[in-house]
Amino acid sequence: MAESKQPQQRMGGGHGPGPRMGLVEKPKNFWGTTMRLLGYMKSRLVGIVLVLLLAIAATIFQIRTPKVLGQVTTEIFKGYMKGVAQQKAGIQMAEFPIDFDKIKGIIITVIFMYLASAVFSFLQQYIMTRISQRTVYDLRRELKYKMKTVPINYYDTHSNGDVMSRAVNDMDNIASTLQQSLTQMVTSAVTLIGTLWMMISISGKMTLIALVTIPLSLVVVGIVAPKSQKFFASQQKALGLLNNQVEENYAGQVIVKSFNREETVMQNFEVENQKFYNAAWKAQFVSGIIMPLMTFINNISYVFVAIFGGLAVSNGTVSLGDVQAFLQYTQQFSQPISQLANLANTIQSTIASAERVFEVLDEPDMTDEPSGMPAVPDDHNKLTMDHVKFGYDGSPLLMTDYNLEVKPGQMIAIVGPTGAGKTTVINMLERFYDVKGGAIRLDGVDTRDMSREDLRSHFAMVLQDTWLFTGSIWDNLKYGREDASDEQILEAAKAAHVDNFVRQLPKGYDTILNESASNISQGQRQLLTIARAFVADPEILILDEATSSVDTRTEVHIQHAMSRLLKDRTSFVVAHRLSTIRDADNIIVMNHGSIVETGNHDQLMAQNGFYADLYNSQFSGNVAI
Amino acid sequence: MFKLAKGRASAWAITGAVLFMIVQVIASLYLPNLTADIVNKGVALGDTDYIWHAGFKMIGCAIISVVASVCNVFLAARVSQKLGQRIRADIYRKVINFSHDEMDQVGTSSLITRTTNDVTQIQNVWVMILRMMIMAPIMLIGASFLAYQKNHTLTMIFLIVIPIMMIFIGIMMVFAVPLFRKMQDKTDKINLVFREGLTGVRVIRAFRQDDFEQNRFDVANKDYTDNAVKVFSIMALAMPVMTLIMSGTNIGIDWWGGHLIAQQALETGNLIAFITYAMQILMSFMMLSMILMFIPRAQASATRINEVLDLTTTIKAPATPTPLDESHASLQFDHVDFRYHGAEEPALAGIDFNMQPGQTLAIIGGTGSGKSTLVNLIPRFYDVEKGAVKLDGTDVRELDLKVLHGAVAFVPQKANLFTGTVRDNLKYGNEDATDDELWHALEIAQAKDFIEENPEGLDYHVEQGGGNFSGGQKQRLAIARALVKDASVYVFDDSFSALDFKTDALLRQALKDDEKISNRVVVIVGQRVSTVADADTIVVLDDGKMVGRGSHAELKATNTTYQEIIKSQIREGDED
Repeated sequence: MAESKQPQQRMGGGHGPGPRMGLVEKPKNFWGTTMRLLGYMKSRLVGIVLVLLLAIAATIFQIRTPKVLGQVTTEIFKGYMKGVAQQKAGIQMAEFPIDFDKIKGIIITVIFMYLASAVFSFLQQYIMTRISQRTVYDLRRELKYKMKTVPINYYDTHSNGDVMSRAVNDMDNIASTLQQSLTQMVTSAVTLIGTLWMMISISGKMTLIALVTIPLSLVVVGIVAPKSQKFFASQQKALGLLNNQVEENYAGQVIVKSFNREETVMQNFEVENQKFYNAAWKAQFVSGIIMPLMTFINNISYVFVAIFGGLAVSNGTVSLGDVQAFLQYTQQFSQPISQLANLANTIQSTIASAERVFEVLDEPDMTDEPSGMPAVPDDHNKLTMDHVKFGYDGSPLLMTDYNLEVKPGQMIAIVGPTGAGKTTVINMLERFYDVKGGAIRLDGVDTRDMSREDLRSHFAMVLQDTWLFTGSIWDNLKYGREDASDEQILEAAKAAHVDNFVRQLPKGYDTILNESASNISQGQRQLLTIARAFVADPEILILDEATSSVDTRTEVHIQHAMSRLLKDRTSFVVAHRLSTIRDADNIIVMNHGSIVETGNHDQLMAQNGFYADLYNSQFSGNVAI
Repeated sequence: MFKLAKGRASAWAITGAVLFMIVQVIASLYLPNLTADIVNKGVALGDTDYIWHAGFKMIGCAIISVVASVCNVFLAARVSQKLGQRIRADIYRKVINFSHDEMDQVGTSSLITRTTNDVTQIQNVWVMILRMMIMAPIMLIGASFLAYQKNHTLTMIFLIVIPIMMIFIGIMMVFAVPLFRKMQDKTDKINLVFREGLTGVRVIRAFRQDDFEQNRFDVANKDYTDNAVKVFSIMALAMPVMTLIMSGTNIGIDWWGGHLIAQQALETGNLIAFITYAMQILMSFMMLSMILMFIPRAQASATRINEVLDLTTTIKAPATPTPLDESHASLQFDHVDFRYHGAEEPALAGIDFNMQPGQTLAIIGGTGSGKSTLVNLIPRFYDVEKGAVKLDGTDVRELDLKVLHGAVAFVPQKANLFTGTVRDNLKYGNEDATDDELWHALEIAQAKDFIEENPEGLDYHVEQGGGNFSGGQKQRLAIARALVKDASVYVFDDSFSALDFKTDALLRQALKDDEKISNRVVVIVGQRVSTVADADTIVVLDDGKMVGRGSHAELKATNTTYQEIIKSQIREGDED
């Protein structure tokens, strides 16, 4: 890439905007995005309805049990009071007259209710797991598919870290919300309403007493909780700054030490560390007291209910079992409130995540615009650049009228200073970007009138960036052409000096290349990419000559393999070696992203322009090499 | 994990947190007791005064409980975060002073995780320890004791329920834990395939392998989904079964409790209290088992942190350092052998040369031949095994480390810039440098153009790690940074390979022309013959051995390794 484009190209996974703990991002279009996300579950509508019904059923059974179980206490208490009264009347008895048959009946009912609730809630979870996981599966698949249809421009303007964060963090966020929050929301709501209903059904007066504390819990949920979020946000920010320092100074530790900066660096760190501490303990504290506060409010209700319930029982207006059940309901009551408050945040951040994923899915796809120009059948060139205009969107044109004719079998060298934009040529040839005017013709046909697939089948690339995927060496070679036979692959491996070193590996061609490729050397990776191009057996080759970082022996192998590969093919070579440049039939000289001169070595030297300057500068000093 | 807290966390604060927790638990355990009293003495006897009386006691209890727990949270938050702050600072100080040996041993990225994630992990666990982990046992013991006091016979029910619970939790763990671990692997796999799709997009499209990639992703995606469905299906059992166990306990207590009441062995109010205690016991038991799942992870973090803290630096400053004439020193390698920590083969052997001020030394050789290793010995990033590296005739091991680092300006292979402005970065080695000096250094380093292009000039912001500069630009800024420093020896460890031929040549010429630098020792590590050709002395390395030393002309005529290198870079007929 051109140097000017570099800033946008920062790599690194998981750093981009993603959901952060405690930091609730507000989605831009909440309902629109929510509906769209739910749209993905449309095909599973029956399942969802079932899940909701099961959740409601399970919760209703769960809610009713304390009241029914309370009847047991009532019965026991009734028997007890009767017994006490009888004892007072002077009747001797071995046991209080408690009606255990009735109790047995109640208990059997309760057991059934418990079992039903458990089975329903298990089924609900079991089905929801499948629905949510499959939905996210679809979403991931679609995102991956999108990566195939967006233009290269998308990759060049979005950092990998940003895209990864959407594919990883945001997707995780969506998955766990669908998995848990959806049913939790239903359960909480049903619990809240159901509990309230049960409380009212026991005693309207006691319900009022229990609800006296509601405003208090709203204060906690409405004031303390947002405050804790704010503290968490500043904690997260402080942590980010601190981690940046750690990363930066560990990576540059050599510099820190050799420039005697240890103390300064330490002082700066202490400052950030203290800032983080100040933010962190507050965040921990404020978030930590929410629970005790809610418990306290709950306890207050509990006490009120206990007092007034006790009074009511002694008045005989309410049964003891009901008071016991009521106490349980009181304890249950605040839970769904705080749960719903939490859910509101979770769901918001999930919808924000979904929004970011959809943003990618909504990126415009590659478009095909036919050139509208007739094929030129009498064009005997392999490749023709005919009055080409080219530039990147949003920046000035790099070339306004470029012409080049490449005869079959010719070698074209591309030279220029570091960052002169040699990628531009590859972008044009492989149609990663389309020309803005004029035409590029392959065998007389405008490349825009062929499918990209078709066009690219004529090319193969060997770049310095030795991208190989995590898989076996064999599969990586086969990558060049899927229908290549085993013999062809072996032949290619031999031609590219790959066979020898691969056979020395314990697992040979089945060796799995890992991501960081620590199991083979950089030079060997380069050889593999050459072999891959051999397998592809293209008509036109795009080759980036290796410059450095390989040992002498491998370097010789690479040179040798490259010249074999170049033989009898039309080629574009990003050249670093003088010999290649001199052998080239044509040299494209690039600077600042555009082509400044074209011609062969002698012509360019005679022009005494940029190329001549570049060429001569290599011999500065008086040493002949 | 507890070793880490020693001396870093205030014992008083921890004791306070524990005491407050005990108060909180006692107060909340006392509540059901009071409810029982209301029923037994108030309701049963119709004593409304007693009910009010007990009610006020309950409110008092609730207040004590909330105050105690807020105090506990306060102390827990402060202690755990302070602990984290101190551990972090200790690790940081340690790492910043590490020699290369220790950096290699642990690895930079691992050190970063240890300083960030692992410490956070420890902090979180300490919050948990100070709150839930001490709460669970106190609650468990307190509730058991009170339950036992209420009724001995009924307590037997726990002998049945707790083992059932333990067995269930055990079974869940046996099944779920391996699946959860697998899930992590499968998540990594999905992310890997997706990331490869991003980094290799040009290759993928050029080879028309989009469908292959889509399939590869689908396989990983499907694999992950299947596993996740399995895990969460098992987990779907957890809550319902736990609830069933607790509900069963509830029913059991009601049934047997009823009989005990009938036999006049239990009061009704105590039954209600007993049920509350039973729930508290089972809840704290569940809490305990959950915490127990966290501990091993935190322990792993603690071990990783302790590993760093226990490392000792091998490079030690001398007790009585020899002074150095910094501005005008020679550089000598006196028959130096070097071996990496724990390596069988020496990385360098028989390195011998002597450079006077004003001379340039170049080092050339293939990858892995030991070029970088050699220059790393100059600022004592490693210590030699045999022989000596001498500055101005003094063994570097006899110099104060600050003095030594001040005398050597080092540009490593990988250019690292720091967040701040261009000026901050350039002044890194010389706080007193004037803007003129900075511009002069930029000019030599061929970096003046692109800094000048910017209206902010020296005030231009540098992002983390220099992310807003290209590789070549970063390298040139790193070179300028070293040039600003007033040193005796300037070392360029393969710093020119990111530059094109022309910039490389201009830079070397500018170094030669500079008044200051031309009077110092310059050491250049290079890959290209053109980079090293005009040095006063060239050292040729092959597999750690010095196979040649001399000028370009001498080596070209006599040295086979050097000839091979030339041959690999220039084909016959290229020589002018």
